[in-house]
Amino acid sequence: MGQQILNAVFIGSIYALFAVGYTLVFGVLDILNLAHSAVFMLGAAVTYTLVVNHGESFWLACALAIVASALMGLVIEYICLRPLRRRRAPPIAALISTIGLALIIVAAIEQGRPGTLFAWLWVDGANPVTMPPGTFPNPTWHLAGLTLEGSKLAVVPVSIALMLVLGYVMRFTQVGRGLRAVAENPRAARLMGIDVDRLISLTLVISSALGGLAGILFGVALGGISPYIGRDSVEVRGLAVIVLGGMGSIPGAVLGGYLLGFIEVLAVVLLGSNVRAGVAFAALFLMLVLRPQGLFGAQLRERI
Amino acid sequence: MKRLHLVTWLVAAVFVAACGSTGGGSTNTNSYSGKTIKLGAILSITGAGGVYGPQSRDGMNLAVKQINNSGGVNGAQISLTVKDDASLQTQSSQVAQTMIQADQDLALLGPTLSNSAVAVHPLAESLKTPILAVSTTGINIVPNCNFPATVACKYVFRDSLGEETAIPDNIQSYAADAHPSTAVLLVAQDDKFSSDGGLIVQNTVGKYGINLLKTIKFNKAEADLSPYVTQAVQLHPDVIFITSLGGIPANIMTEARKQGWQGQFLGGNGFNTATVSKNAGANGLGARSASAWYLGNSFPSNADFVTAFKAEYNHDPDQFAAQGYAGIKIIADAAKRANLTFSDIAGDRDKLRAAMETVNIQTPLGPFQFTSTHDVKQTVWIIKMDGQGGFTLVHQIAAS
Repeated sequence: MGQQILNAVFIGSIYALFAVGYTLVFGVLDILNLAHSAVFMLGAAVTYTLVVNHGESFWLACALAIVASALMGLVIEYICLRPLRRRRAPPIAALISTIGLALIIVAAIEQGRPGTLFAWLWVDGANPVTMPPGTFPNPTWHLAGLTLEGSKLAVVPVSIALMLVLGYVMRFTQVGRGLRAVAENPRAARLMGIDVDRLISLTLVISSALGGLAGILFGVALGGISPYIGRDSVEVRGLAVIVLGGMGSIPGAVLGGYLLGFIEVLAVVLLGSNVRAGVAFAALFLMLVLRPQGLFGAQLRERI
Repeated sequence: MKRLHLVTWLVAAVFVAACGSTGGGSTNTNSYSGKTIKLGAILSITGAGGVYGPQSRDGMNLAVKQINNSGGVNGAQISLTVKDDASLQTQSSQVAQTMIQADQDLALLGPTLSNSAVAVHPLAESLKTPILAVSTTGINIVPNCNFPATVACKYVFRDSLGEETAIPDNIQSYAADAHPSTAVLLVAQDDKFSSDGGLIVQNTVGKYGINLLKTIKFNKAEADLSPYVTQAVQLHPDVIFITSLGGIPANIMTEARKQGWQGQFLGGNGFNTATVSKNAGANGLGARSASAWYLGNSFPSNADFVTAFKAEYNHDPDQFAAQGYAGIKIIADAAKRANLTFSDIAGDRDKLRAAMETVNIQTPLGPFQFTSTHDVKQTVWIIKMDGQGGFTLVHQIAAS
């Protein structure tokens, strides 16, 4: 059982880190950034490409991949979101726009083969690839009958540290206050002299950096990096997590992430392994029925 | 005198005309001269099946090159187009339809995955195009490609030894060697090849006194298999059966060894390629499976095949390459005897189909003939991973 708890903590950390980025954008902008899962995948893919195809050192590759993910946040803002905001389009238009960008990013990676347009970014097409052993330190310890793997363990403190930092920024800094003001009421914030557009860009940058980092940790610990890891592993679960935790609430996303990790593993242990896929949806459904605002969310207002 | 001359010329003219007509000229080594035999192969070059498709492709291309360089098929050159289906069933169907209807290929080979074959084979059957499976080993590939309908499919063939033979042979062989008493089965429930293999395992273990403690199902797209592996390992089985393909076997083996499990891995066709052995590395050492081919087999045409393959591609062939190579040889042999017209594609496809049923040639897989259900009956090689990206031979089981 102890081993399963460890499994749950690891996957819960990934979900939590991913969902924090999701919920940050939702909280500030009231839209779901469905390109987030593509940025998750991009973080892992860029790290892999830099290490394996361009021979960079692992740590530098990670840093560059995070930067690339953050820049993708700017792309999302400038291409998907800002033009629609200018035209006062309904939020659903922005949602669809981000879906479109996600599809483009995945397709670009999928098409990456040697000699093609995107070969500098990815050369393995639809194949799943794994970081070569020895790329990064990954010791395994056996303690009290449990197997502790370095790369999986590292995810937990990294995730928690980042979430604490983000919490601090949101609560105690000027920037955080600005973000919360924009989340509360963008018009009023603008009237108070806050540069709303800049803060929105910052939100996307932070969110995408977190998403990319989640992807890197996921890819490093589990291997099997392919164009589909965002779609297959976190896209829908991230949605379930933020609903569970309360849309727009960062502590909610963290708690929701770990909660979902535990529910999934518990379902595998108690109910049999083939229900894992459905568990996220079941939890989502139950939460929507029993407490639609999630664990920490504000009362849900009507919006589409 | 003049009349004799005329008669002689007339007889000669008739003789030449008779020889020149395509109807009766099949044994003439150049009756297809100047024509092209168009074949299409749908393979998983990328995606989950992408560890197998390139091997099949390389084997096929080698055979095409060899045949074309030695005069072709009765003088006709083979033109093989290989297209990637990215291991996706829908893409596989689309590619097949294009090849049959737009490209007007004479026959098809593939697809790589059993999961795709359930869509592609019925399509080829309904469009009356011969299709030769070169790596699909699941249940109901042949002859009931339209399962659960039991009408046998006439246009579907395979040269890839089915799991219904391979898995029981592997289990029997290991049971005789090591007498295991308990096992756990890990199966990807949303993949036909994996779930078929799982079914065969479940139906076979009882016969050899192995108690199947649990069947653990997961979805093939899941990246994190640790909860499933933990469940399996905590039961302390002697054997873990892995009937999956692609990256999953190596994933499971690595995770199980990490969690301290020391038992035996037994698998299916999904093990039988160098990439899987390499990815599993030391964690896969000793993992056993039944293969349709072995590098060092002593069948007449195997040594030449291995030498030619190594010269062309700088690495050893594997089972998939051998089956792809054999596939082209089979079709070429059938085409030779089929009296193709090259002007009536539907008629030619039918003729090729009929000729395929009577193929009897030497291949690197051994002497090859289709069974009455268009299936394969051949020697089975029990192999085990050597921990370094290769395999060693454990047993050889003759065709029964």
